[in-house]
Amino acid sequence: MSAITLRVNGKPIALDVDPSTPLLWVLRDHLGMTGTKYGCGIAECGACTVHVNGEAVRSCQLPIEYVAGAEVVTIEGLSENGDHVLQKLWVEMNVPQCGYCQTGILMATAAMLAHVKKPTDKDIDTYITNICRCGTYPRVRAAIHRATDTPGT
Amino acid sequence: MEQVKINRRTFLVTATAFAGGMSLSLAAPAARAASISGEPWLSNAGGVEFSPWIAIAPDDTVIIRVATPEIGNGTVTQTPMNVTEELACDWSKVRVEFASPRRDYLENQVYSKAGWMPFFAGHATDSDRMKIALQIGASARERLKAAAAHQWNVQVADIEARNSVLTHVPTGRKLRYGEVAAKAATIQLKAEPTLKPQSEWTFLGKASPAKLNLPEIVRGSAVYGLDVRLPGMVYAALLQSPVQGGRLKSHDPGAVLKMPGVRAVVVVDPSKTKGIPASDKANYKLYYGLAETAVQSAVAVIADHYWQAKKALDALPVVWEPGPGADWKSSEQIYDAAMAVLDKPATKVLHTAGDVNAVTDPPTLDLRYLTPYCDSAPLEPLNGTAVVTPDKVEVWHPAQDPQQAWWVAVDETGLAPDKVYFHQTYVGGAFGRRVLANDVRMVVAVAKEYPGVPVHVIWSREEMTRQGRYRTLIATRFQAHLDGQGMPQVWKAQACLTGPIMVAASFADSPYVVGGAIPNVQIGTSDLPMHILTGAYRGPWYNSFVFMVETFIDECALTAKADPLAYRLKLLANWDPAWSKCLQVAADKAGWGKPLPRGQGQGIAVAAWPTAGLRQTGTIICAVATVEVSPDGVLKVKSIDVAFDCGRVANRDAVAAQLEGGAIHSLNMSLNEEITVRNGAVVEGNFDQYPMLRMGDIPPRITIHFDALSDHDRFGIVGEAPIGPIGPAVGNAIFQATGKRMRTTPFRKHDLTWT
Repeated sequence: MSAITLRVNGKPIALDVDPSTPLLWVLRDHLGMTGTKYGCGIAECGACTVHVNGEAVRSCQLPIEYVAGAEVVTIEGLSENGDHVLQKLWVEMNVPQCGYCQTGILMATAAMLAHVKKPTDKDIDTYITNICRCGTYPRVRAAIHRATDTPGT
Repeated sequence: MEQVKINRRTFLVTATAFAGGMSLSLAAPAARAASISGEPWLSNAGGVEFSPWIAIAPDDTVIIRVATPEIGNGTVTQTPMNVTEELACDWSKVRVEFASPRRDYLENQVYSKAGWMPFFAGHATDSDRMKIALQIGASARERLKAAAAHQWNVQVADIEARNSVLTHVPTGRKLRYGEVAAKAATIQLKAEPTLKPQSEWTFLGKASPAKLNLPEIVRGSAVYGLDVRLPGMVYAALLQSPVQGGRLKSHDPGAVLKMPGVRAVVVVDPSKTKGIPASDKANYKLYYGLAETAVQSAVAVIADHYWQAKKALDALPVVWEPGPGADWKSSEQIYDAAMAVLDKPATKVLHTAGDVNAVTDPPTLDLRYLTPYCDSAPLEPLNGTAVVTPDKVEVWHPAQDPQQAWWVAVDETGLAPDKVYFHQTYVGGAFGRRVLANDVRMVVAVAKEYPGVPVHVIWSREEMTRQGRYRTLIATRFQAHLDGQGMPQVWKAQACLTGPIMVAASFADSPYVVGGAIPNVQIGTSDLPMHILTGAYRGPWYNSFVFMVETFIDECALTAKADPLAYRLKLLANWDPAWSKCLQVAADKAGWGKPLPRGQGQGIAVAAWPTAGLRQTGTIICAVATVEVSPDGVLKVKSIDVAFDCGRVANRDAVAAQLEGGAIHSLNMSLNEEITVRNGAVVEGNFDQYPMLRMGDIPPRITIHFDALSDHDRFGIVGEAPIGPIGPAVGNAIFQATGKRMRTTPFRKHDLTWT
């Protein structure tokens, strides 16, 4: 096995790992970064969303060999001190309930905002397709509108 | 207000132990907002213990131990809010950690017996536990005041406690709580202080602060069960008999043992469940008669990393002896069998009034309903971590009921209870799935087979979905005779149950049948024993029965050519007026009765959890749904208006969040959810087969109206209530829009086209 190299939250990483291992499990079990969650393993729920070269990606279906050389950002790297505008609003507006899906939703939302500065409800529906069993969707939507100073429904 | 008894002997024991030099860490956390650690079972804060619930550190940090799990309901915030109201401490100084069920056992059930209920499950933070939390705060405050009075040699009555500072009012002298905490902890009060009246509350009912675990959640540092990492920990991937109740027949470990990282293949055998030591059986019970008393048959692969374990498990040759469950070829066969049971008289009568045989004519309506198996499907897959040695078990677990989980760990190993340590993690949703603790039983059973190192057991999503403890499949038959005015004279209902239930909530105790408006009533049940394992699901059984009752009453109303709202109001005219108020508020807010074009409709439904048949209890809740169905059958729920009465509200935003989320849960359950069976095994494995509503599917307007609150002196539980009425409100609206009646769920399986 040859080492796979990539950057995670700005740090260079070299790994001796089965190249078919999904990025999710590399992050969680090899690198100890458990903020990226396992929910379904088939890229349905989005709890495992991270940024790969700036794009939101569901890491549970992404073999580590495909991200060799890539720049990966996880929830641990979204901000220095947990003070990204979305993180602050998620707290202030009491968005999470159990919270398990929220790191994935935050990463999906942050990636959306890199593309769409002023998202409409339709944009939000298109970009944020994560599953939240607690039903926090209306609060997620409200927090995005507040973060971007856009009108909600 | 009723006083709460605090175990003073325990206060004394604790205080004495401290005075005698009990070793304590007095290291203080950095000052910040009210907080809880990412590892919530840890006691980082130290402090001087006033009681098992509360400690205060020299730097004024107040450590509050919460006995209920945080499952998204906000209990780690609401409980300390309740304590803070009476303690008069600075909210930013509050730090929370979970109480230990092992300590509860060792110290004469200090948490459970004192009134937190012998039941640590997530709900009822305010309805059942608020007064206890207030009393804990009041008691600590008075002891602090007494300590200050002693130090100053002044009257306690001249001391004011506010914002973690004690002030001697006549002289203006001040002491911080932390400065007198050590002395205060040694003081015993002659009598427990009287709680202040609610009218003098300054925090409860006034504030909805940010939940104090949210900073950990949004940083990804909150440790859920799946995030536990321990030195030397190994990972286990789990497989149980696809047909529940089946046994492992054979497997071939040799085929996978040489795969990378694989350490072992272990077998879990139900006969190895040891049972609680005889001397302790009387102390605790496994709850409800629903909890399993032995582990299920299983095989697990243990490896250095989860992905290695999972790949090896997928490659492992396994043969199961499926047992008699495999004879059930399809869900349709089960549904037919359940309906056939309803052709015969009920075997158990739950409620009667008058004489249902008084009217000999055939019933005006004779209708049947069915709700399928559903999975609670919390987003965090089942998991847990345990290390088992001959004389000690240590468990880290996302329990919905830590006390039950700890006790099940005792039961599975047979060790003395004091040798079993339990650490409660955050919980990635529960909704009933984690309450009976069969998950922790499996975790401990696997770890027993690989002793000495921490074993982290993970159910894949597919394994979890196919090994549920499902919402009980229920079929019902309702018969009613309507009189000349269209009102029911006879109401006869029978349910076929496919698993044990605790309460026939909203079925046997619906106010329609116990409120006296219908003179002749008979409610009964029959059983269809199945191999499919059932358990709790949000608002257990209520979530099915409300759909059935509120759909049937709608059908009665329309048969009587009555407005569904007016019909309900008439039947409930002599009942707790909160029901009528909720109906009226929801209807008014939704614009009930306005003419709608074809393809649009409104539906209404009302219910109460946990008890419908008692006045002024729990939460009464009404929903009005407004829907649009296109001619080709595409349903759009345009709005949901919810009105409710839980008496009073201590935290408005937290209540709104539970009701919003519960409404969406009810909608998903009714539109989407069905677990089906083929050859005895569950078919659905993942979210591609068990769909969940997403952002774009949510009604644009879900509004929680507070206008029906009665101000009755209770803080009723709110989390389960919305699971009942939203589904039937939508179903009744679909009928108005299309003329098609929803008598089974999920609605997505119905043809909704119209011309």
